[in-house]
Amino acid sequence: MNRTGTRELSMALALLAIWAFFAWQEPVFLSSRNLSLLSVELAVTAVLALGMLVVLLPGQIDLSAGSGVGLAGAIAAVLVFWKGVPAPLALLVATLGTVVVWSAMGALIAVERIPAFIMTLGGLLVFRGLHWLVIENQTVPVVEGGGQNVYSLLTTYFLPSAWGYALAAVTVTAIVMSALGARRRRQSYGFPVDEAEITFLKLLVLAQLVFLVVLVTNGYRGMPIALVILGVVAVLVHQLVTNTPFGRYLYAIGGNEEAALVSGVPVRATIIGAYALMGGIVALTGFMQTAYSGASTTTVGSLMELDAVAACVIGGTSLRGGRGTVLGVLFGALIMASLLNGMTLMAVSPEAKYIARGVVLALAVWLDLRLGRGK
Amino acid sequence: MSRPTVLDARSIVKRFGAVTALDGVSFDLRAGEVHALCGENGAGKSTLIKLLSGVYPHGSYEGDILVDGRPAEFRSTRDAEHAGIAIIHQELALFPDMTVGENLFLGSFPRRLGRIDWDRVYSESAATLAECGIQLDPATRVGDLGIGQQQLVEIARAVARRPKVLVLDEPTAALSRHEIDTLLGLLRQLRSRGVACVFISHKLDEVFGIADRITVLRDGTAQGTLDVAATDAGEIIRRMVGRSIEDYYPRRSAARGRRLLAVCGLSVVDRPGDAPRLQDISFDVYAGEVLGIGGLMGAGRTELLMHLLGLWGRREAGTVELDGQPYTARNPRAALRRGLALVSEDRKRFGLVLAQGVAFNLSLSSLQESKRGPLIDLAGELVRTQATAQDLRIKAHTLEQPVGTLSGGNQQKVVLGKMLLTSPKVLLLDEPTRGIDVGARLEVYELVNRLTAAGQGIVLVSSELGELMGMSDRIVMLCEGRVGGVFERAEATQEKLLAAAMGRLGRAA
Repeated sequence: MNRTGTRELSMALALLAIWAFFAWQEPVFLSSRNLSLLSVELAVTAVLALGMLVVLLPGQIDLSAGSGVGLAGAIAAVLVFWKGVPAPLALLVATLGTVVVWSAMGALIAVERIPAFIMTLGGLLVFRGLHWLVIENQTVPVVEGGGQNVYSLLTTYFLPSAWGYALAAVTVTAIVMSALGARRRRQSYGFPVDEAEITFLKLLVLAQLVFLVVLVTNGYRGMPIALVILGVVAVLVHQLVTNTPFGRYLYAIGGNEEAALVSGVPVRATIIGAYALMGGIVALTGFMQTAYSGASTTTVGSLMELDAVAACVIGGTSLRGGRGTVLGVLFGALIMASLLNGMTLMAVSPEAKYIARGVVLALAVWLDLRLGRGK
Repeated sequence: MSRPTVLDARSIVKRFGAVTALDGVSFDLRAGEVHALCGENGAGKSTLIKLLSGVYPHGSYEGDILVDGRPAEFRSTRDAEHAGIAIIHQELALFPDMTVGENLFLGSFPRRLGRIDWDRVYSESAATLAECGIQLDPATRVGDLGIGQQQLVEIARAVARRPKVLVLDEPTAALSRHEIDTLLGLLRQLRSRGVACVFISHKLDEVFGIADRITVLRDGTAQGTLDVAATDAGEIIRRMVGRSIEDYYPRRSAARGRRLLAVCGLSVVDRPGDAPRLQDISFDVYAGEVLGIGGLMGAGRTELLMHLLGLWGRREAGTVELDGQPYTARNPRAALRRGLALVSEDRKRFGLVLAQGVAFNLSLSSLQESKRGPLIDLAGELVRTQATAQDLRIKAHTLEQPVGTLSGGNQQKVVLGKMLLTSPKVLLLDEPTRGIDVGARLEVYELVNRLTAAGQGIVLVSSELGELMGMSDRIVMLCEGRVGGVFERAEATQEKLLAAAMGRLGRAA
């Protein structure tokens, strides 16, 4: 418990330091407009990182996620812009294709025992090649010039301010209800719970945060729909990993695969399922990231898998599997998104950006090892 | 017989905490003899040789060890090696991706101009192999050799260091008939050159075929050293078991119900084409009954359970019926659905997710029972796991305490509880009391009584004869993958069981 506390505290301090640094260097960092953009960037990074969490929990990894993001976005863009397919249908086709391919990778990993690292490293190269092949090395917009469709709206639609407040109210109510319900249930079975004051304070801070986000985004164009998508994905993944047998199996396999097998856990099916889910999330991230760029280009999605892994590890997910939470991953994604956004704002050269990302990734893993030791 | 004594252990006492593993054991070894150590599992054989080879350093035991008449104080295995004592452990310590020659010289490569002199490595390896009577090309990759040949390489490696004393811990367990002959031939040759050998084996025919003297250990005490010429197998077995069954086996027989598990003529191979590892095995388990399965190390006890659970092996012949229906397990999940559950001997490896909490582990195998819609009904799950934890008296601060922080006995109870929550018809217990204290042991036995009283069938695999005889209604002894004998509780004696486990039933009498 103490170690977890140390980790959480140091991560919060790191985030504060990052924000303070950028705010000092570039005051625009804290403007409504930039924070609104940051929230969209966070949404894209975090959705992919949540998928990565599902894959990391059973001790696997997906290095092909970034290439997949580019490919899924490219397929949908080509269908819409070159083939004239309606956007919803294009998104559906690209999603289904991605899920099938990821399930196949999962099967090769779980049944044929190809190490996930190698399988998805191969995937990284194959999907990158396919991505460039599909767009013929050109720039393929996600919508006809000046128009808008479901695809382009993924990152350009903002909820009207009244809707934003309403959504915030509903969210806070739901969180408070479920937190109090869980607390009551734990009490009735004699499990330890936080003191009432602490619970109240935690919920108060959370509620303030939610309203702060709405307030800030309303100061620009309103709550980005991308952030709402992230909220929905986060709730779903959280429910999945904590409250379903499938989620328990993920933790069990990552914690001790042989014991899981003997305990009757369907190890293969669970790993394949994790990759299938990752496929769906890769597609969703692909659409969001491509829409955010406005068009599919050869660089969309590049290196995003590493940002996702870094977000997970910063958020306390173990690379050896068996440990990790949705809340932690969201936090890690916020750190990664803030870093990238701030560096772009400061017009840091791409060279320096690469170096910074690399250092952060290594630092996060080192920290994971340090804090995970002695358990 | 005026051969000099090369190694002399006098009145050795070795304690692990409150447990006395060796209690005043004396043991001497003469140049040019093969001296066998016999005893049941846990009698103290391994402890003794670990002491002689420096694994337990000087000062961690009482008594004296003399080498060539001078007191020896080994602080490490290196000291023992320098004194000329080479030990070959049961587990092989070879590098499978290196050649035989590289393995023989690892750590002491001959060099020329700072580079390894490969010509010398291979010519000297070839000479060593020839000297040991092993026909092998030193350039062969060790991983390409069979287990038996690897064992011979391991011995050649020890011989290459010209030891005075060679200690072999169950060297023949994994060897074929032919390889055993090569090994025994090599031992005779070493003996004629004056090397002293300590030979540990459960196989009494081998012991009588090679040894000059036999020392029997039982419960950490020496039961005498005998000349082979002046004794027989019956005498050795009597000295090995001699112990009375302590009265802490509170088995209460239950009414025998219908037949739950019927295994008939079962033969299982590792891979198609291999020799069967389990052959023609038949037994029944009835409701309310404990069937004990015993046998020596490598007899196939664990393999049998693993096969029943769908984790190992390909069935070549035979049938298995579970509660009257034909049964072939594809995986443990399918086995659990049919009502067959395993509590493994290795709970850390096959039993528990150590980093997760008690409740997580308890409910892992029965999550479907706690489901409401697609989600787990957390309240219902808590009720179920808490009831089990209380029932089994699992001592934990909260149900969320990681099981890795619990004591061995409580960990074992978590594994048992997890399987009980699946409501199995037949519960397979593999060494359920290994490494847990006496209190927890009794609780496990009481649990077995309660389960059989409730009409479940239990298969109890144990390497402790006392536990087998104390807790089983019927006992099947396995011997080299076959049934060596079946005994009703009333007719079982330690001598009979051991004789069956050694394949000497009928011949010994």
